[in-house]
Amino acid sequence: MSAALAPAGRVATVTLEAHDLAHRYGRRTGLEPVSFALAAPGVVAVTGANGSGKSTLLRVIAGLLRPSHGRLALAVEGRAVPDARRREWVGFATPELSFYDELSVAENLRFAGEARGLEGVDAAAAAALARVGLESRAHDRVPALSSGMKQRLRIAFALLLKPPVLLLDEPGSHLDDEGRATVARLVDQERPTSLVVIATNDEREWRLAEQRIELRGRGLGHPA
Amino acid sequence: MPSNGSSSGAAVWAILRKECRSEWRTRYGLNAALLFAVTTLTSVSFAVGRLTDRTDLLGALLWVVLLFAALSSLSHAFVREVEGHTLTLLRLVASPTAIALGKLLFNLVFLAVIEAVTVPLYLALMGAPPPKWGAFLALLGLGSLALAGSATLIGAVISQTRGRGALFAGVSLPLMLPVLAAAVSGTRAQWAGGAIGAEVRLLAAYSAALLAASLLLYDHLWED
Amino acid sequence: MIGRLLLFLWIAAWMVAAFYWAPLVPVLGETTRVLYFHIPAAWVTVVALGWSMLHSILYLRTRNLEHDHHAAAAAEIGILFCVVATVSGSLWAKAMWGSYWNWDPRETSIFFLLLVYAAYLALRSAIEQEERRARLSAIYSALAFVSVPFLMFVVPRIYFSLHPDPIINPRGKLDMDPRIRIVFFAMLVGFTGLYAWLQSLRVRVARLEHRLDQA
Repeated sequence: MSAALAPAGRVATVTLEAHDLAHRYGRRTGLEPVSFALAAPGVVAVTGANGSGKSTLLRVIAGLLRPSHGRLALAVEGRAVPDARRREWVGFATPELSFYDELSVAENLRFAGEARGLEGVDAAAAAALARVGLESRAHDRVPALSSGMKQRLRIAFALLLKPPVLLLDEPGSHLDDEGRATVARLVDQERPTSLVVIATNDEREWRLAEQRIELRGRGLGHPA
Repeated sequence: MPSNGSSSGAAVWAILRKECRSEWRTRYGLNAALLFAVTTLTSVSFAVGRLTDRTDLLGALLWVVLLFAALSSLSHAFVREVEGHTLTLLRLVASPTAIALGKLLFNLVFLAVIEAVTVPLYLALMGAPPPKWGAFLALLGLGSLALAGSATLIGAVISQTRGRGALFAGVSLPLMLPVLAAAVSGTRAQWAGGAIGAEVRLLAAYSAALLAASLLLYDHLWED
Repeated sequence: MIGRLLLFLWIAAWMVAAFYWAPLVPVLGETTRVLYFHIPAAWVTVVALGWSMLHSILYLRTRNLEHDHHAAAAAEIGILFCVVATVSGSLWAKAMWGSYWNWDPRETSIFFLLLVYAAYLALRSAIEQEERRARLSAIYSALAFVSVPFLMFVVPRIYFSLHPDPIINPRGKLDMDPRIRIVFFAMLVGFTGLYAWLQSLRVRVARLEHRLDQA
């Protein structure tokens, strides 16, 4: 299990390399070819205009989207992770992530932990909720949360399994100043042990990173 | 890299429990399916009256009622994930095969509940002579397995198309027709006091072939 | 061009032979000749649907859209030949059994098969994005082919059918007059050639459509 391998405080050897990685939806280009080599620990920002493929890139890294060109290689402790199992090493918070309305906040996280085969799910869920300041709402149903609280829950979900690779897509969206400070604090906590990738155009967020990948897709500027 | 073999079983189990819990809390799918099954049953029973000595028709009508109940409800498990936008969450915590197997088990439980209500009601309303329970239940079980097996894979496919609700019945019905033919002929034979060996073998072989093919195909279900 | 001409001449010549050279089977009488069209059509149906399944699996492995063109073309042509087999069988049933349609196990099976692959086309038409359509219809096609052996071979064998069994009979041998056998196999070859030609045409059209779509 990914969580067992990367206990807090220990640095897992993680490398993430992309070679000419690109994605097209039919005729539309989702992501222009991009290459990079990243390694944990570290914080990387992915920036670029709307439509340049920031979210697409993160979805490919998380294993949700099969790239139409190029290759993405994740290696943990020197061993290549097969594409189909990449999700096991990745925590992903994205605006498109929704939770089950019929379950409470804590139940959603417990389900995620159980499905991943995590030990001590209750404690892990409580700890993740505490890290984003949502512990008082653990027993509320998801529809009762405000959009800012839902964003915190997405980040808690990404942190739940203590993944060696943490992907944050627009982590500050819907968050108030206190929430943004929480994100900054969490990124600082993860910085020494994990590879954190933040997709953002918000200066407050990309200033958290040591490296920056600028996507130069066509975006909206030059329609195909 | 540590083996994750045990977590697939855990994922299937977690998904089954999550499905049951969600269904139990809303009862939306179950109520709709039961209402549909009972309505179909009532209209059939009302239209043809009691058929105590027409066991040939009894077998046919029973399976028509069950088929309609299955068609109206078995795509629900995936459509609900798509409409609630929760598929991203599910795909991040479990492999496509684990998701599909969890849904398959849920669909089986779901069908069993519907049958537990519909079948006794059918036998009573239609004035059917007592069936040979061993043979009858064997046909019911194998028939349900084949129905759930084909409905699960096709439900997952259909949930990714336009007009998913309307298309499901039309696309999944043809693959269910061999099941219907064998189950009807077997049910008829057990009431007539004949042998059902051929039908049971046919149903078992068809279910096994569908499930084996499904297991090879599940992994390709979600990629974008 | 030459190939097409030869194919045309081949089928035409054997069609003439079917009428003037091959003898009639006693019970079947004049309807014997349906054998030379009906069974080759059923054969091409199975070959085409198998080809579709094969390319569906290859697509899932390689993600090369060329395999999707093949799978879709083969399913369409398979349906076409399935209709030919159904209609010729139905005409024969009218002559021999007195009605076009009796829900004989063979008729039931082939009708189910038509529905299974009509559903494949319905599914394709409901998905716009090319890769997604290719992937999802490949999944369906691979699953659908599971039903083919059941419908074509198992069901008609288990249930009592009036359908004659000249090719796939339980004894596994051919009891046919040598001249009938020659014409029959020649037509089988001709129909297979016809299928290969149609398949290549359809795939070329699909390639052009794809290029047009990309431009």
